[in-house]
Amino acid sequence: MTNMNAGQRAAAWGRKLVLPVLLIAAWQFWASTLPTGSPAPAPLKVLQTLGDLLSTGSLLSATVQSLGRVVLGFAMASVLGIALGLMMGASQAVRENLDPIIESFRPIAPMAILPIAILWLGTGTPTALAIVAYASFFPVLINTVHGVSRVDRKLVLASRTMGISRWTILTRVVLPGALPSILLGTRLAMGVAWTAIIAAELAVGAKSGGGGSGGIGQMMFVFYAYNIDLNAIVVCMAVVGVVALLIDQLFRLVEKRLIPWKA
Amino acid sequence: MSDNTPSPKLRLSGVTKSFLAPRTGLSTLAVAEMSLDIQTGEFICIVGPSGCGKSTVLNMIAGLDVPTAGVIQKDGQAVTGPGADRGVMFQDYALMPWQTVEGNVGFGLRHGTPGQHLNKTQRNQRIAHFIDLVGLRGSEHKYPHQLSGGMRQRVALARLLANGPDILLLDEPLGALDAQTRLILQAELLRIWGETAPVTERKTAIFITHDIEEAVLLADRVVVMSTNPGRVREVVTIDLPRPRAGKARTHPRFGVLVEHIWSLIRDEAYRAIGGDESLAKPTEEATA
Repeated sequence: MTNMNAGQRAAAWGRKLVLPVLLIAAWQFWASTLPTGSPAPAPLKVLQTLGDLLSTGSLLSATVQSLGRVVLGFAMASVLGIALGLMMGASQAVRENLDPIIESFRPIAPMAILPIAILWLGTGTPTALAIVAYASFFPVLINTVHGVSRVDRKLVLASRTMGISRWTILTRVVLPGALPSILLGTRLAMGVAWTAIIAAELAVGAKSGGGGSGGIGQMMFVFYAYNIDLNAIVVCMAVVGVVALLIDQLFRLVEKRLIPWKA
Repeated sequence: MSDNTPSPKLRLSGVTKSFLAPRTGLSTLAVAEMSLDIQTGEFICIVGPSGCGKSTVLNMIAGLDVPTAGVIQKDGQAVTGPGADRGVMFQDYALMPWQTVEGNVGFGLRHGTPGQHLNKTQRNQRIAHFIDLVGLRGSEHKYPHQLSGGMRQRVALARLLANGPDILLLDEPLGALDAQTRLILQAELLRIWGETAPVTERKTAIFITHDIEEAVLLADRVVVMSTNPGRVREVVTIDLPRPRAGKARTHPRFGVLVEHIWSLIRDEAYRAIGGDESLAKPTEEATA
């Protein structure tokens, strides 16, 4: 974190905006050369569609539904991943038993378990949750194990010479010592979870014929498969990107609050 | 020191430690047949070339390592594991980076056995007292990364004392500091240990150092260890008057004692840095 005044910060933001603004301008210029009635997306049409989708409330409710699934699936994965990661980091026996299982599942992409998830859990929220939880579990787990393994051994030894019990050492020394790595894992997991939900909803949408299970992924599917609307698809893509950006910023903020000793 | 002294604070009898190399399965003897009685209130320094098992001895007394053979007794009871009655100050201080000065000093009091009989107010008073004692008032809310090496060392010392151990185990606590800070903290250490107090009110301290002058300045007795395997070469009684802080270095005995201890470890020290032993020989004759 560097110290900048308001003017410098504004200038920094301005520099970041130069290229996107240029690209959008070029895109609009290209679109204006097309014949009227062309289905190709154009910035102004996208803005107009955004306005329409916002006014009906359908975009907001779809985003909220996807986000809700992400938060819930991510929370489940985090609880499981951190608990298991602490156990694996603290006990060699647990680690040696779980490691082969985890390493053999890890290369299987979240989308690859979708067929089984749909067959077992249907095309609704349970499948979406399962995909999100599966996708975000590994980054949390692996970074937790890594963080625990990198906790300074001396801190554990020092705690033992202060008459501190093993359980307290786990919660008061190992957990905070591994926290920076755990938070990094959760931030990565949240990114993966958001990517996975869109893909899962797109796929579930295909299966359920664009039915009522909702979410922004399925909204995209409807605009792709039924009433073909490229501008609306671009709106959905932009929303996905902006939400991902906001989530990441939120996590960085939380990180700074939770680990003030890494200022 | 004779072996029939009644009830020493700490007794090491035939303490041996060998380590198994994980791959080769070969056993290395780190400490061999070490026997030593330490009385209440004594300040013992252990010196020796690197690899002589100094830290291993300290870890075994702390209960972090188990002797392969032999027994360590404290107040007549065999040591079986770590406990807050034997406080350790580690070489790199082992401060919790996520805790402030105040949190580090109070870590044992809040989470371990030392604070079990205290209520919250008493703990906080005790923490504040030891922060004052080491001169860190005003820095309570700083994190370790915001402190200088000397200040971190003080935090570690305050934490050690706040836990109220009756034996202080100090593993090269001043090793990483610059020369001036070192001089100041040596004097402070003597004050806190109780140099000006009657012997019965002093803590028992075991201090590891590679600095012979430091050992002579601080100790009642200096245990000189030799390497391969680590064993006691000689126990040198330091008969300099106390209090020593600031004055002992100019005492005529000081140089004699330093020279004597150096003569005991010189050969091995030369070998440890890969130097030729013949370089050491002439000086040995000159000082003999």
